[in-house]
Amino acid sequence: MPPATIPIRIDHEACTECRMCYVVCREIDVNAVYVAPEPRHRFEIDPARCLYPGCTACLMYCPAPGSIVEAASGRALVPPPPDVWTPDRRVPRGIA
Amino acid sequence: MPRPNHPLVQQFMDAWVTPTGFSGPGVEFRMRMTARCLPIWNGATARAVKGGEADRRLAGDDWKMERALAGYALEGPQMSIKQMSTQLLSVPMDQQARYIDLQRMRARQIWDEVKHGQLNADVLLRGGRIKREDELMASVEANAQDNLAYFGLTSMFAHLHPLARAAQNYFVEAIACLGITATLAAIDDPLIRHQMKSQQAEELMHFMEGKYQLDAYCLTAEEQRPVEEAFDFLLKPWATTMNPAFGARREGGA
Repeated sequence: MPPATIPIRIDHEACTECRMCYVVCREIDVNAVYVAPEPRHRFEIDPARCLYPGCTACLMYCPAPGSIVEAASGRALVPPPPDVWTPDRRVPRGIA
Repeated sequence: MPRPNHPLVQQFMDAWVTPTGFSGPGVEFRMRMTARCLPIWNGATARAVKGGEADRRLAGDDWKMERALAGYALEGPQMSIKQMSTQLLSVPMDQQARYIDLQRMRARQIWDEVKHGQLNADVLLRGGRIKREDELMASVEANAQDNLAYFGLTSMFAHLHPLARAAQNYFVEAIACLGITATLAAIDDPLIRHQMKSQQAEELMHFMEGKYQLDAYCLTAEEQRPVEEAFDFLLKPWATTMNPAFGARREGGA
């Protein structure tokens, strides 16, 4: 049984559309961040693909405070609170 | 025992430097480079705070115009278009597929930097120093900057590996972020605060570009070597000066 996920969303009041989250998500082949045609070609997060809190990679490279939040609680995840960037959630890259 | 960081640097470290999305040699390399950057980040931040506090005590608008002119030289058309376009050229055609996201980031940064130049022009326009931006085209002060760490054309051509730019994004953009934070902490002038706040998130994005490139792409000795060489250059005492645009006094240097 896959681990439970918690839906997160982009707060467009804070997002600067820099697309770092999109780049990171695509680099690790999760592809949960996408460009929504409506209403204004903004980035959105597909809850069916997003693995949060199992994966928190996008949060580590987002430069806009408060722009990614937990959908239900509204808890801001940028800059990432210490409890979301524990070592077990890091994506292995290369040979250490 | 290492010296404690300046409080603003420590905040920056906790929020943006230490959290990482990856594990492995790229992150280890970045943290090793971070330790080398910290003395300069700390010194630049302390000087930016001091410069901001000194500017706050000044009467008149000359200090604002000095900041804006220096900012225009750093980020105006000359530097933004020429410097950033050169960085696009650092990825050879046969490596475009591998580094296509990196190229998109750099294309975006051209736009950001041009906008920052315009923000500095706005300070000069709204401050009454100029009536039209094109007056700046005849000003050497508004178009020449001597900070080698900003990778003008000559510096960039010496570091043409596709990933060399990561060092500049990481090291120099952190100084920009810290300089803006220091300025916002010290200065209450609405013209300067508007300009700084308008570019704050974008400077942080450019820092994140560097962080991401180091964490995700600098995985082997072959990939790390040219980036470390760029850090070696940037960390030379004569290469990096905290520009007046970000709060340093002209006579203060780095």
